[in-house]
Amino acid sequence: MRVLLVDDEVDLASALAERLDLRGIQADWVTTAHAALDKADAVDYDLAILDVKMPKIGGLELRERLHERHPRMKFIFVTGYGSEMDFNKVKCKEGETCYMVKPVAIEDLLKRMKELIGDIGGDR
Amino acid sequence: MTTTTDLTGWTGLQFFGRTTASVSHELKNALAIIKENAGLLNDYLLMAEKGIPLKPERLKIVADRIDQQTRRADTLIKHLNRFGHSIDEPLTTVDLNDVVSLLVALTQREVSMKQATLQLSMGESPMTVKTAPFWLLTFLGHCMTFSLKMLGPQKVLHLQVEKVADGTRIIFTPLSGLHGAHQGEFPGEAENALLQSLDAACHIDPDAAALLVNLSNR
Repeated sequence: MRVLLVDDEVDLASALAERLDLRGIQADWVTTAHAALDKADAVDYDLAILDVKMPKIGGLELRERLHERHPRMKFIFVTGYGSEMDFNKVKCKEGETCYMVKPVAIEDLLKRMKELIGDIGGDR
Repeated sequence: MTTTTDLTGWTGLQFFGRTTASVSHELKNALAIIKENAGLLNDYLLMAEKGIPLKPERLKIVADRIDQQTRRADTLIKHLNRFGHSIDEPLTTVDLNDVVSLLVALTQREVSMKQATLQLSMGESPMTVKTAPFWLLTFLGHCMTFSLKMLGPQKVLHLQVEKVADGTRIIFTPLSGLHGAHQGEFPGEAENALLQSLDAACHIDPDAAALLVNLSNR
């Protein structure tokens, strides 16, 4: 299982990626939507974890672009309370997309990942 | 209540809501980073219990992140608190430099979401003005939103606070998009109501690519 994390908060993306790595899940992180599109073209990801509010291209638009290019990719949005309303503007596709509110507990995140992907691998 | 008062009140509430939502979103991010890094420290401890040696340099990086984000959250709360208290007095004497600094702090997220950079040139200190701080912040917040929309491709917004013959002035520049702005786009009805309450004037100079706000000494 390979995960791409996209969040403009460097210290959040890097810490979360390391925590997933420690659990045996290969996780890469980037801080912009453009970097995410490039990365996803180069690496075959099963899942992308996207921040909703980011400069220039936000998570919602990024999801559309990634889905177009990589239709099998699943998505988890992470959002502050303030952006829940924005998230509700788009359809949450059952089995393809779900969202969580920051701060996210790693156990809850892993549970969501299992719901979307099934066996997520890992060693813990 | 007059229509002007209603419009001013509505505009102020809207700015208050928008600002607190934006700052609370920033706070959420700071808390999320603290939680994630605290979790990472816990992961390291679990690994140590299993006999995997701890790396002090990793611990330091994570502890530094937590420290930075705690300070970030503290600063955000201080700004929010100052903003909340800006409505305490209907009319009071303030240092305009402080008001503009607070504006810059409160609109930081809006600026960064536009991928812009802000430069602030303070005037002589203190630059005292008698004004209604909350309404001034509301009006300047509107100026900021409009200025960000009118910014050129360099995306650097310069704010200057200065003394003029009959009062003080705040300049937003360089707004290279002003030539393409619609007639009457700014100041609009809400901004004009605010200007009236503040006894202030606003002038757009497309040739100088500037938005100028004058506060009188009266």
